[in-house]
Amino acid sequence: MAAKAISSPVPVDWYPTLAVVMVAVGLMFTASFFIYEATSSRRSRSLAKEITTAAIASVFLGFGSLFVLLASGVYV
Amino acid sequence: MAPSPSSLPTAISSLLLLLLLAAAVSVYSSSPVLEGGIRVVSAEKRIDLTGSIVKVFLTLKVENAAAAPEASQVLLAFTPTEFERLAIVKAARAEGRRKKKMYIPHAVKASDLAAAPNGHRLYSVLLSSALKSAEVTTLEVFYVLTHSLEPFPAEITQSDPQLVYYRDSAVLLSPYHVLEQTTYLKMPSNRVESFTRVDPTSRTGTEVKYGTYYDQLPNSYVPILVHYENNYPFAVVEELVRKVEISHWGNVQITEQYKLRHGGARHKGVFSRLEYQSRPSISGLSSFKNLLARLPPRVHSVYYRDEIGNISSSHLRSDSHKSELEIEPRYPLFGGWHCTFTIGYGLPLQDFVLESDDGRRYTNLTFGCPLLDTVVDDLTIKVVLPEGSKNPQAVVPFVVEQHVETSYSYLDVVGRTTVVLKKKNVVGEHNVPFQVYYEFKPIFMLAEPLMLISAVFLFFVACIAYLHMDLSIRKS
Repeated sequence: MAAKAISSPVPVDWYPTLAVVMVAVGLMFTASFFIYEATSSRRSRSLAKEITTAAIASVFLGFGSLFVLLASGVYV
Repeated sequence: MAPSPSSLPTAISSLLLLLLLAAAVSVYSSSPVLEGGIRVVSAEKRIDLTGSIVKVFLTLKVENAAAAPEASQVLLAFTPTEFERLAIVKAARAEGRRKKKMYIPHAVKASDLAAAPNGHRLYSVLLSSALKSAEVTTLEVFYVLTHSLEPFPAEITQSDPQLVYYRDSAVLLSPYHVLEQTTYLKMPSNRVESFTRVDPTSRTGTEVKYGTYYDQLPNSYVPILVHYENNYPFAVVEELVRKVEISHWGNVQITEQYKLRHGGARHKGVFSRLEYQSRPSISGLSSFKNLLARLPPRVHSVYYRDEIGNISSSHLRSDSHKSELEIEPRYPLFGGWHCTFTIGYGLPLQDFVLESDDGRRYTNLTFGCPLLDTVVDDLTIKVVLPEGSKNPQAVVPFVVEQHVETSYSYLDVVGRTTVVLKKKNVVGEHNVPFQVYYEFKPIFMLAEPLMLISAVFLFFVACIAYLHMDLSIRKS
């Protein structure tokens, strides 16, 4: 019987690095989102741009927090 | 002319008698004990009494009678007490001579035959190839009895050695005729208080030999009692719950909750720590202060704690084949004393989770308790499969009680399918691999990150909505 070992999709050793990088990138996008919100007036804002920045930031923060959990030993 | 009035009742009664006889014979011959014409040519029983668990090695030379049909099974008999304490029975047939000796394992199952007298219970060894008439085979039987050493005196002080009773039979309890047999009892030391004499009986050093006895009838039982010193740590795990959590993100987390007890003679009087530490050779001989757990290789994040917190007295040694965790409870354990603790460790996923040919995944873990030389009265293994797993199926090489439940952990919505396996009276021989098969689609792994992403995204949406709303009362 040829049983194949199953391993994680991302090597476990990368989790801490990935966590730091993705949370950092995510926070940068969050910062740019809030800077944009604060610096533009209500009329000159573009909803598309806001949604795009928010989406990118949440993808990075979401995966970032997952890797933070995995790197700290909370295997979800 | 009618037959004479006296001859008719005689004919009827003789017919009745014949019928009765035939019935009796058929009942007797249908008794499964007499299947084939098996008899035991020679039997050697070696009982190892050195530890807290009694191990019995039985070598049976079995012969089928010349004019008998083929025999497919050989029966082993146990007394009701032994049957209750029996943890495992294994049988193998020795094949080949000397160095080329090979052992072919045979299936052993509890026989539900009620034919044995005195409430004796039977186990049948299913022979892989039937024993033909006039054929001889040698069977090696191994069984383990737990809780069979009764401490006497039942209560001892700190400076007393522990003495125990062991009860058995001088002759082999067997449903067959036994032609020649010997029984050996191996003690841990020379200090044997007494043993029953059933001539011929002899004692050399640590060993007591009963026999050789010839021509014993089926089901013969000659009770013997041995009283000897046994200071082996009687570590009994009253309850062990092992929880195995599988995460496809690369980890198998195992948490083991122990309820440990010293199962030997109860401690009486005071406990003097000073005497215990200054004179270890005469004080607290039967107590123990450390235990060894054998864990798989490549364990990480090992912890050992109880309700109070971390217990710092533990050591971990690892090599490429195994890891050894040496743990010391907070206090040495004397007879009747309890302690509760938890051991946890992580294992790499690729060592224990595999994919079979039919696309199902399965875990390949070891059953039983990792602590060496302990009896587990009540073992529960919970295999928590990842969320989204379906159709779990456990494959265990012996009878276990099992059911499926749902448990909740981090970032769960529908809960995780959990396979619960329960077994009583578990010994070291039960540490064999078992499998839990399940169906899992890798797409379910994205559930957790998607949950986190949507939570963060909802926060941003709330921010956008707040900044787009005009909540001021005054018109701007």
